[in-house]
Amino acid sequence: MNQTRAPRELQAIGLVFALAFAFPGLYLIWRNFTSGADPLSLLFTNQTLQPFWRTIRLAILVSLSAACLGTALAWLTTRTDLPFRKLWRIVLPIPLVFPTFIGAAAFIRTLNPGGLANDLFSSIGVNRTLELRGLLGAWLVLTLFCYPYVYLPVAARLRHLPGSLEQSALVLGDSLPRTFRRVVLPQILSSLSAGTLLVFLYTISDFGAVQLMRYDTLTRAIETNYLARPPTAFALSLILLVFAGLVVAAERSVNRRLPEVRTHRAHEAVKYELSRWKTPAILLVGGTFTFSFLAPMAALLDWAADGLLRTQRGGRPLTIDTSKVVEAAANTLSASVITGIVALIAVVPIAILVGRYRDRIGRFTHSVVIATFAVPGILIALSLRFWTLRSGFLGDLLQNSMAILIFAYVVRFASLAMGIALVAVTTVSDDLHDVAATLGADRWRRFRSVDLPVMRPGLLAAGGLVVLSTMKELPISLIVAPIGFPTLTTRIFGSFEEAFVAEAGIMALVLVLTSALLTWFLVLRRVDHL
Amino acid sequence: MLKRALPLVLTLALFAAACGSDQFQIDASAAEIFPGECVDGTGDEVTIYSGRKENLIEPVLDAFTCATGVSVQVRWGSSTQLALLIDEEGNHSQADVFLSQSPGPVGFLESKGLLGAIDHDVLRLVSEDNRSSQGSWVGFSGRKRVLVHNIDLVAEAELPTSVFDLTDEKWKGKVAIPGTNGSFMDWFTVFRDQYGTDVATKWLNEMVANDARYYPNNRSIVEAAGRGEIEVGLVNHYYNYQEVVAVGDDHRAKNHNLDDDDIGSLLIITAATILKSAKNPAGANDLLAYLLTAPVQSYFTNHTLEYPLAAGVEPNAVLPPLTALEIGSVNFDALGGGFDETARIIEASGIQNQ
Repeated sequence: MNQTRAPRELQAIGLVFALAFAFPGLYLIWRNFTSGADPLSLLFTNQTLQPFWRTIRLAILVSLSAACLGTALAWLTTRTDLPFRKLWRIVLPIPLVFPTFIGAAAFIRTLNPGGLANDLFSSIGVNRTLELRGLLGAWLVLTLFCYPYVYLPVAARLRHLPGSLEQSALVLGDSLPRTFRRVVLPQILSSLSAGTLLVFLYTISDFGAVQLMRYDTLTRAIETNYLARPPTAFALSLILLVFAGLVVAAERSVNRRLPEVRTHRAHEAVKYELSRWKTPAILLVGGTFTFSFLAPMAALLDWAADGLLRTQRGGRPLTIDTSKVVEAAANTLSASVITGIVALIAVVPIAILVGRYRDRIGRFTHSVVIATFAVPGILIALSLRFWTLRSGFLGDLLQNSMAILIFAYVVRFASLAMGIALVAVTTVSDDLHDVAATLGADRWRRFRSVDLPVMRPGLLAAGGLVVLSTMKELPISLIVAPIGFPTLTTRIFGSFEEAFVAEAGIMALVLVLTSALLTWFLVLRRVDHL
Repeated sequence: MLKRALPLVLTLALFAAACGSDQFQIDASAAEIFPGECVDGTGDEVTIYSGRKENLIEPVLDAFTCATGVSVQVRWGSSTQLALLIDEEGNHSQADVFLSQSPGPVGFLESKGLLGAIDHDVLRLVSEDNRSSQGSWVGFSGRKRVLVHNIDLVAEAELPTSVFDLTDEKWKGKVAIPGTNGSFMDWFTVFRDQYGTDVATKWLNEMVANDARYYPNNRSIVEAAGRGEIEVGLVNHYYNYQEVVAVGDDHRAKNHNLDDDDIGSLLIITAATILKSAKNPAGANDLLAYLLTAPVQSYFTNHTLEYPLAAGVEPNAVLPPLTALEIGSVNFDALGGGFDETARIIEASGIQNQ
């Protein structure tokens, strides 16, 4: 690793970003002071401790299962002769794009008693009565929607690992599981723990899935109290954020002790033959795909088909027309792609500070960015309104602008790009850098001609992850977007809330289709694991 | 090269195909409300923060613009979140009008002193019971509380006449309650106001003891009843009609009306307000008056099957008639201050863990 000090300008940029990402946290602290909230005394009441404990239990379980599932899928799609690998690479990230409020509802509609799967099974004489709810339901649905947070960074890492070590281990007679444990696992551990942290933070901030699965967590308590007892809502939110900060700090300290791993663009990656394990492997990947993608899709298709048939039969016409769907799709696509690009611009300097220079300011900024992922979107939205209204002329300028919307999205989701970006940064070999420097290339030139080409596939994957997540974002899209800027998700929400399920289903299908085309495009561009 | 460009081409083709056909059903609905020629734009503008969703009100707003030449800007969202946003924005809010799906968010804004006065000419379009005594809000449609039930699991004859019957052993583990949902909390606040906090709290605790089952909102209860996951549930009447329209006969649930004078038959109103900081109060009053005209009120009851509130408009024939007693008996102004205590009682009951 390069031992030179980080350039001053880069450190300054890091500090500015730390401040930008701290907006929601500072807002929460301010609100706690001004509303007379008392988070400390609230913390040790049953009303807080019980949902808090449930939140932690759920987050741990989801993290564990998503870590195992994500790693297995990543290994199977990068390192084996699994059939249809390219197809899996296109479809496996897609569950990210289901907004949880409709994704979880569709999941329930398909799998719970009286649902679509039930109809199918009862026609062959099987009656199922398992009702997915509570801890089991929340765990299952969040695992199925969150595993891509692990799958994507781990797959990106696996593709960069040189195969030579593994080959040596195998030649020396280690079994495959042993090789995985002793050679592969240590090398992917930092990506794995970064991805798992995202799953953990997402789980504690989720509201849509846990509320539909009727599992009472801290976010439900926050939601109920917003209007009834605002100080309680703000205090509980602060507790959530402080907890997230502690978890991030703990992960950092563990991650720093992990052995340093040199990564290269792997040209000689080992490909394993699955042989007799082929069927179980296909079952695992296919099963994941069935439950995380096909199950919700079945309900969406059913709703959409009901609506289309209804209009054919002269029933109530659909309340959406194609021009509105197209407008929403175009808005969704443009806003999320711009967000992906801006998020990369924000994340790369921080990743360089952390990955190349092991800079203290960089590590601090990194932690702020990651912890912000646990802040519910509505609080990020409200905090931005709060700050823009208090920043005078600049606020007036930004009010109702796309710039403020993109900024809010970036604050919400840039953390997702961080893990993969860090891998990408460490992929650039120092030797190459030193040679370029010796040849007299200045810093910017080196970045453009040495770093960027090597990092490009990883960065595109990181950007893709942000884009897919932004496409489903709801509260920020409602509260911060310029007036008259509908996105697919805001339209889906409006229809779904009022039980216009056909309209919601059709637009959710458009959302899934759009994201599938996008990932297809990125995969064809040979992006690392999207 | 071609292979690489294919997704892009497909995406563009999809968009082009989508752009090609343009059926404006919205315009047809809007024309139903206002069949005349649109007047020229006046340059006047009203900004709405609307908790009432696009599907339910966009045609009405289009008709308003067509009829008056006043353009309308809308920020859509959930009533709760928009109320929080208005509170955060204070006097700088862009909103002239706030439309709420339930009384709670209105009570919240009133308690913060953010609501302005509505013209008396607008207020008097609805009966005194469906508007604020201070003139800070006016109801523009109503949703009645009912008991939704699965028609395969529960026979019509077995259904109760009062919410108080549901604490009976007979209903153990069979009743769904949207405990932390806004409209349920509004309902419970009125319950406390009408019967006293002790009676209401005792009822809720007995429901919990009777294994009442928690669902997050009206919609999820109606959907679950339609699948047969639960027997009965306390909800707004509105959602079951929507499910039937959307899903058809596969939806196996129906609304059951409790006795007319039972608290379980309460009418929950959706309300319109004008903000104290409104930049265009005149246009805002015009808009509210428009929501209460006969064509718009008929549109609400015929298309979204809600109860009209303006005098002289009859509810759609499929809706059970409301008795004067129901509408006339509730003091919605009690909602604002009582909300805090309601949230405390509901959380303490433990319904959210059922």
